[in-house]
Amino acid sequence: MSSHQQLRVLVEQLQREANIDRMKTSEAINHLKRYISEHEAEDYLLVGFTSQKANPFREKSSCTVL
Amino acid sequence: MTDGGLKVEQPMESVEALSREAEGLKVKLEEERQKLNDVPLTTVAARLENLQQLNIKPRRVLKGHQGKVLCSDWCNDKRHLVSSSQDGKMIIWDAFTTNKEHAVTMPTTWVMACAYSPTGSMVACGGLDNKVTVYPLSFDEDVTQKKKAVGTHTSYMSCCTFPYSDQQILTGSGDSTCALWDVESGMMLQSFHGHQGDVMALDLAPSETGNTFVSGGCDKMALIWDMRTGQCVQNFEGHESDINTVKFYPSGDAIATGSDDATCRLFDLRADREIAVYTKESIIFGVNSVDFSVSGRLLFAGYNDYTVNVWDTLKCHRLTILYGHENRVSCLKMSPDGTSISTGSWDFTLRIWA
Repeated sequence: MSSHQQLRVLVEQLQREANIDRMKTSEAINHLKRYISEHEAEDYLLVGFTSQKANPFREKSSCTVL
Repeated sequence: MTDGGLKVEQPMESVEALSREAEGLKVKLEEERQKLNDVPLTTVAARLENLQQLNIKPRRVLKGHQGKVLCSDWCNDKRHLVSSSQDGKMIIWDAFTTNKEHAVTMPTTWVMACAYSPTGSMVACGGLDNKVTVYPLSFDEDVTQKKKAVGTHTSYMSCCTFPYSDQQILTGSGDSTCALWDVESGMMLQSFHGHQGDVMALDLAPSETGNTFVSGGCDKMALIWDMRTGQCVQNFEGHESDINTVKFYPSGDAIATGSDDATCRLFDLRADREIAVYTKESIIFGVNSVDFSVSGRLLFAGYNDYTVNVWDTLKCHRLTILYGHENRVSCLKMSPDGTSISTGSWDFTLRIWA
């Protein structure tokens, strides 16, 4: 590609980017926060397992039922 | 010029005009972004309570590779893992029992990328051979019998993933492009041009309807792509060195990146800007891999200093360090149900934490 073509591609790219809708940072952050509060109950690495049995990678119990 | 509608080529002037226009647009873009930057994340997060102590422990060690582990991926059954290594091996693991179910020798070293298909019936991998090869998994016969080369780049393949179905593969390459391939025919369906350096990582938007993905590379840029049109729809800069890893926030509204500049960053797609940097003065080694917990609150990052740091995504604090690996942590993946995280390392092992 010539430098002329490259510039044209760049301008078109920048024009597309200039036309996108943007949100205030505070609003965007609130969306991220809301997603966390709606999903943290099922986030086992964050809140832990309700019982160790629910952890598929728990340590094997030393006694087994025969 | 006369009124004949004749177009006279004036390349010199056009180049100047275009340069001016590009510069003007860049200034305008930065002004727009700055205008909407009302409150920093740290201010919003300061009001949140600190998280409780995490209880994440090492649960399994997967031993069998005889070279550096370079990549790994979970099967959707939440039990099997595929990993690839520098010695040219690809191994399918049962992570519960730590058994190896398949071990495949590739015709290349440095198998930098591997991925499980959504149904779990095949895996794709490749690396220094510049190719993405698919292996249907079956216990009836040798897995290599049915292997199929799907696509070829003009440089190494650094990353690959199946976008929502077993029929297509998305790849990223050292040739600075990404490409979407049809598995059956091996045809290239779309190529993605825009990076000015090697593509190191890619990740799909979490929602199928999005049809977008993110890529990151040695040009320090993270680009968001429309998979159907092949167009770059957004780009994010900020890192001071190569981006090694990219990952969508679980809601799809943001991306996390990790870089050789020893930082992870969070870029919000709708605010169209960087909103957080995860860094500490004591952390001086590069980041190879990042992933989120299912809610997005925890950001896991694997570093060249053999550690995994766990960050509070909102407060930008480091919560804890996962110690265990004895060399660089090269890859890290949350299991599909979020109950555990797998890590792979240059110490030849993979580990499961839960």
